[in-house]
Amino acid sequence: MKILIVDDEQPARVRMRRLVEELNVANAIHEASTGMEALRMCEKTSPDVVLLDIRMPGMTGLELARHLANLEEAPAIIFTTAYDEYALAAFETHAVDYLLKPIRQEKLAKALTAAKKLNRVQLQQIQQDIHAKAQHAAATGGQRSHISARVGAELRLVPIDDVRYFLAEDKYVTVQYTQGQLLIEDPLKSLAREFADRFLRAHRNALVALRYIAALECDNHGHCRIRIKGTDELIDVSRRHLPFVRKILKQL
Amino acid sequence: MSNKDTLQNCFLPDFCNLRMVFAVVILAQLFAFVLALMTITSADGVGWKYMSMVSLFVQWCALGSCASLCYARRYLCQVATLWAAVLSYLVILLVVAVLSEIAFHLVYFELALGAKHAQFILRNVVISALITGPILRYFYVQQAWERNVKAEAQSRLQALQARIRPHFLFNSMNTIASLIRTQPAQAETAIEDLADLFRVSLRETQQFHTLADEIELCDRYLEIEKLRLGDRLNIKYDIDSLPKDALIPPILLQPLVENAIYHGIETLAEGGTIRVSGEQKKKTLHIRIENPCLAQRPTASTGHHMAQENIRERLLAMYDKRAALHIEPYSDRYVIEIVLPYRNKLDEDSDR
Repeated sequence: MKILIVDDEQPARVRMRRLVEELNVANAIHEASTGMEALRMCEKTSPDVVLLDIRMPGMTGLELARHLANLEEAPAIIFTTAYDEYALAAFETHAVDYLLKPIRQEKLAKALTAAKKLNRVQLQQIQQDIHAKAQHAAATGGQRSHISARVGAELRLVPIDDVRYFLAEDKYVTVQYTQGQLLIEDPLKSLAREFADRFLRAHRNALVALRYIAALECDNHGHCRIRIKGTDELIDVSRRHLPFVRKILKQL
Repeated sequence: MSNKDTLQNCFLPDFCNLRMVFAVVILAQLFAFVLALMTITSADGVGWKYMSMVSLFVQWCALGSCASLCYARRYLCQVATLWAAVLSYLVILLVVAVLSEIAFHLVYFELALGAKHAQFILRNVVISALITGPILRYFYVQQAWERNVKAEAQSRLQALQARIRPHFLFNSMNTIASLIRTQPAQAETAIEDLADLFRVSLRETQQFHTLADEIELCDRYLEIEKLRLGDRLNIKYDIDSLPKDALIPPILLQPLVENAIYHGIETLAEGGTIRVSGEQKKKTLHIRIENPCLAQRPTASTGHHMAQENIRERLLAMYDKRAALHIEPYSDRYVIEIVLPYRNKLDEDSDR
């Protein structure tokens, strides 16, 4: 079994490594101290299990779990936390397990055994659960710092600050960002909820980043469009959303 | 607030409750005796009959009101207390008026003592208005008192929790568990620091300690956090101009340093420096704690406020308006300043 330990605190990683080593179940143990590092590590080593701390600077464990779910060979995730009622509530029956620090070796052994027994289908199910739960959590407070999508074998991460707008088309949502575009599967509705303070609904199928709005342009027929900063792109504003768009832009 | 909570916080007691009904019956009977005794002038035999009729009538009114309030309570409890009081008052008066009307037709001769119809009803309503007013007032005061007691217990609990953040406790335990085998000496020191910290936290009685003691406490705390956060945590003191003998409430600065770590340093992958600075201006001390934090994101968590509010309340209780706590949130750093009067042991002694 290949195991990746993710924790921003060095003593916590040291202890976790020792506990895992003593169990004699892993043939490779890697460590990462940030969410980003963990993602790169996952792509490189494709671990079977990720032992993931929830409270980390930058990208939290919850967010990382959502990005990992997009990987082709998504690992089983075991959350670790010192004390986090909110996370415990969200994951009570999900993930493979969550472990409370200081972690007991028996509990770790049990969680790892459970993770090993999982087949692909079960793993996918759990990943979906995490996804759904995390989306729910995002709606009630935490938001992701990045948007992720798989491009070929690679997982591409786009900082949310670089996203100009989201456009829904059929089954997918196109993410237009400063370096290009990306297709993701998150529904526009949940994106709107998660990033309500940064994005503005211009149309039934368009969310525009407040920081990339250059101007609102209206023609003689009362048809309005938003000009996107740094490009000559224009996003239609529907009649229904126009009053709200005007109101928000006035406040900016 | 859930339905259950509204009912629990309602000033009207539960009149469906058997004990409550019993109490009402007893009180009503005592009142009936008083009424009857007032009207008996001679032992002419009318007395007993009159008393039983009055008792019967008063019990009707009491139990009728009881039943109406029992039924109406769930609605009354949903409106503001003042309205609830007025409405329950009106409900009781209405019950008495209706029952008087019925009694007038059924047992007029025994009860009315020669009063006319309108007079009879008016008299009964006025009597019940005079009696019910103070009773409702009593319920109201009783409920306010209960609410106070509950709030006090709640705030004591919160104060205790504000002093010991569970995150810190469990993370420290984890760090120590990690160090025990590899660096036993450091693990030992960490346990000693933790013990000192908790000893001060759990001490209830001490009102003041010196600034030097408080700085020492902060250092103990920072030592533990340093083990966990490593290079990410830096601390810079600039407090040479502060009088170290100043008396301050214990655990005044440590929670603020803890906030600076929890909401500042911990959220930054590269960490940062906490600056503790201070100066003495005449007879006041100004102590500032500054930490870097994530740019923008106005989602300040509630944890901040719990510790801050706790400290603000303590300052208010101890110094009234002579102390203050100022917060200056910048986009990428957070500054908190405490202003409090300078007092040392000598001032304290001379006051006694």
